[in-house]
Amino acid sequence: MNCEEFQNYIDAYIDNELEIAATILVQHHLRDCARCQRLLETRNAVRAFLSNPEIRFEVPDALFGKIQSALPAVNSHAKPPSIPWFPISWFSVPFALAATVAVMFGLVFLNRDAIFDHARGNNILAQEVISNHVRSLLAAHLLDVPSTDQHTVKPWFNGKLKFSPPVQDFADHGFRLIGGRLDYINGQEVAAVVYQRNRHVINMFVWPSEPAHITPVETFTKDGYNVFHWNRAGFEYWAVSDVNTEDLKTFTALQMQQS
Amino acid sequence: MNDEQTRGRFESLLLPLLSDAYDLARWLMKNPDDAEDMVQESYLRAFRFFGSFHEGANCRSWFLRIVRNTCYTALGSRNMKEKEVPLDSEADEVEDPAPLPPANLSKKATVEAVREAIASLPVDFREVVVLRELEGLSYKEISEVTAVPLGTVMSRLARARHQLYLIFADRKQHDQL
Repeated sequence: MNCEEFQNYIDAYIDNELEIAATILVQHHLRDCARCQRLLETRNAVRAFLSNPEIRFEVPDALFGKIQSALPAVNSHAKPPSIPWFPISWFSVPFALAATVAVMFGLVFLNRDAIFDHARGNNILAQEVISNHVRSLLAAHLLDVPSTDQHTVKPWFNGKLKFSPPVQDFADHGFRLIGGRLDYINGQEVAAVVYQRNRHVINMFVWPSEPAHITPVETFTKDGYNVFHWNRAGFEYWAVSDVNTEDLKTFTALQMQQS
Repeated sequence: MNDEQTRGRFESLLLPLLSDAYDLARWLMKNPDDAEDMVQESYLRAFRFFGSFHEGANCRSWFLRIVRNTCYTALGSRNMKEKEVPLDSEADEVEDPAPLPPANLSKKATVEAVREAIASLPVDFREVVVLRELEGLSYKEISEVTAVPLGTVMSRLARARHQLYLIFADRKQHDQL
């Protein structure tokens, strides 16, 4: 391969779009040619500038709702369920309101400590999740089972854990499954399902929870990492990454649709 | 499949693509209001054509192609579409390029400078850079979205990156990066 050919191939080479034979030729040429090495450096420098996730534009908050309401309404053939109508006497309303307020205050008062404990507990857990994520990237121990095939990753977990975590590839949406790993969080063995978004890694930690325990998504941000936490269908999920919030939101929505 | 199921399937496949769609529209239109309009319009179009989307096809490239075409139609009708500026082929010849400084990504100024550099590219180059570097599409997907052959995707990407290099190097020389 000469320099001219190298120039034709360099972009496909850095984008991992070259076949193996051509990749070897490119690497051969690179080893001996200082000029093309410098060209590769400049390409990589350009890519480093572009790799900052802040360069993408964030979706305005209201747009999601605007689109949903702009889509044509569903013409459902089923009749809406009829709601039994009870006449409410005028004096019962204030009583009901007063009772509701009393109950609310009572609950808040009774559960205040529990709520604080829960929040504190999840903050500590979020910290642990971030530490495990960082450790997985530093220690070159990201994957126990490197595979983009969910039918390989899922059975692998089955042999190692007492539960079977949900494993689904979302390469279509730009979140490629790259494998799985055993990890240890909150004093128990958990599944780490690992995804890649562009050049960012997402660790999704999963372990069993009460099937009836369904929680809205809770988010934490610390040291440039985003952590999303939710409970669905008998599992507790913690997703952590340095991708932007928008991407992690999309990722979470995809996961929730599956469960 | 009844209307409700279709709507459900549409939402579960296409709403997760909102941030990719918006980002692409924002780069093509170069302003936030037009980008929002284009994204809304694209979702309506995609819903109309949803019957032509085949199970198992790549819905990201299917939808981004609609977004891209919607933007191009708007740019064309307003006579805003920039002409492709053919780069002098000599520009591809790289004579011992001086290495760029290591990217300092924490600086706010750098984000703005990089955005300006991308925005200054001709639209044909800009879209391949955005699809590849910011949205992480493969060459095949980019070729589907932009309806140009793989070889053209590759050469546009090469020229776009080279042009970005020249802009960054120039800014570096003037201490603006």
